[in-house]
Amino acid sequence: MNILKLIKEFFLNHLAVLALYFISFSTFEGLNSIQEVAIFSFNLQMIIVYFYVLKFPSHLGNGHIFLAGIFNDVVIGIPLGVSSLSYLVLSFFTNYIRNATLRSRMSAEWITFIPALFFSNLIYFIIINNFTHLSFFYVELLQNTFFTFLFFPIFYYIFNYHQTRVLKDNA
Amino acid sequence: MADNRDDFIIALRYALLKKGAKQKFSLFFLISFSVLIIFLDKISLPITTFTRSVLNDIVYQISFVASTPGKVFNYLNDEKSEHFNIVNTNIILKEEIEALKSERYDALFLMTENTILKQALKLGSAKNLGDEASIRAKVALDHNSPYSKSLSINKGKKDGIIKGMTVFSQSYLIGTIIEANYFTARVLLITDLNSKIPVVLQDTGVNAILAGAGKKTDLTLEYLPDDIELLPNKIIYTSGKDGFLSSGLPVAETYLNKKNEFKIKSLADPQQASIVHVTRGQFNK
Repeated sequence: MNILKLIKEFFLNHLAVLALYFISFSTFEGLNSIQEVAIFSFNLQMIIVYFYVLKFPSHLGNGHIFLAGIFNDVVIGIPLGVSSLSYLVLSFFTNYIRNATLRSRMSAEWITFIPALFFSNLIYFIIINNFTHLSFFYVELLQNTFFTFLFFPIFYYIFNYHQTRVLKDNA
Repeated sequence: MADNRDDFIIALRYALLKKGAKQKFSLFFLISFSVLIIFLDKISLPITTFTRSVLNDIVYQISFVASTPGKVFNYLNDEKSEHFNIVNTNIILKEEIEALKSERYDALFLMTENTILKQALKLGSAKNLGDEASIRAKVALDHNSPYSKSLSINKGKKDGIIKGMTVFSQSYLIGTIIEANYFTARVLLITDLNSKIPVVLQDTGVNAILAGAGKKTDLTLEYLPDDIELLPNKIIYTSGKDGFLSSGLPVAETYLNKKNEFKIKSLADPQQASIVHVTRGQFNK
């Protein structure tokens, strides 16, 4: 019983890291696997990285972000380090936003997600276009980025609710 | 003005170099490390190729397990759709059976005639997929993302799979091996943007390049002569001009969609493939 409680506590406390690794390994692409709603596919990794680095940086280490990116590269089949760099650039911008923001508000954080996503994807495109011979579906990527931005508030409230509960339980 | 610039630089430096309470690495170190990895992967040293191959094998195995819940969800979703469609399909199939019964007698006559004509022309009998030595593999992962349309299979160099081999599903070409690891391999599907196959059009003999555009129902023909008018319901075969794939393998078909637009669809459904055959592409007919 005690072990079960410990496992449950571990899962609840490390949800961000576990979710990030799970999504990287499981080729999860938002709603891409359901044909009827594939257009709404989004990048949950980006949302997790942005939210946790912004609100609960102690729950998601840079090393985990880097490793999850490496695994994602292997699973997707793109050169190693590209996703890592993209996520770390997102993390860097989020860190900057966190340091520069005086009062935290969801609406402001949602808007600042745009430049963070933009620079993260920009780095991604530059590397892919200059270091590989791969072609991409730009429209799908644009849709993906747009819905990543659009769905952010939903996950913001889910993660925020979860973290507040976890912190309350730990207190 | 100078204060604002200093604040900006301080905030940037803080974001880049400062390690948080539970952070083991600074962002600057990890970003530099990522760039180094990209560089090492680009120059493809033997040691990096080997490391990548080992990493691929390990990650694919974990990924296979991690993607199981998603597969179960997709399976249940498919089963649900299939259940609701089964009655309609049954009616259609019954009608088709009746039609096929009447056509069967015609086909038998044509088969006999064909055999006699082949003997008269001294042509060998056509080989089929089963006659050729092929490696049977199971699809381990399905990478259907905006970035790539590819599959991972559970056979690799250990089983004789090498880069460049062709992959078939239900006798139709679905892609080529682009990465062979020791235990696993990656298949680039014909629906991927990077897939280019030399083909020839039925009844015309016109050569073109069949390229993927992301969807099974939306392939494109490149380098097609301007004066060629394409007709629907024509089969597109491999031309064998790449020197690897044998000629005459059916790959795709032309059709008119609901909006009466001319389109090309793959004969196989790469996303539905669960068991595939990997060959060296020499299925000569």
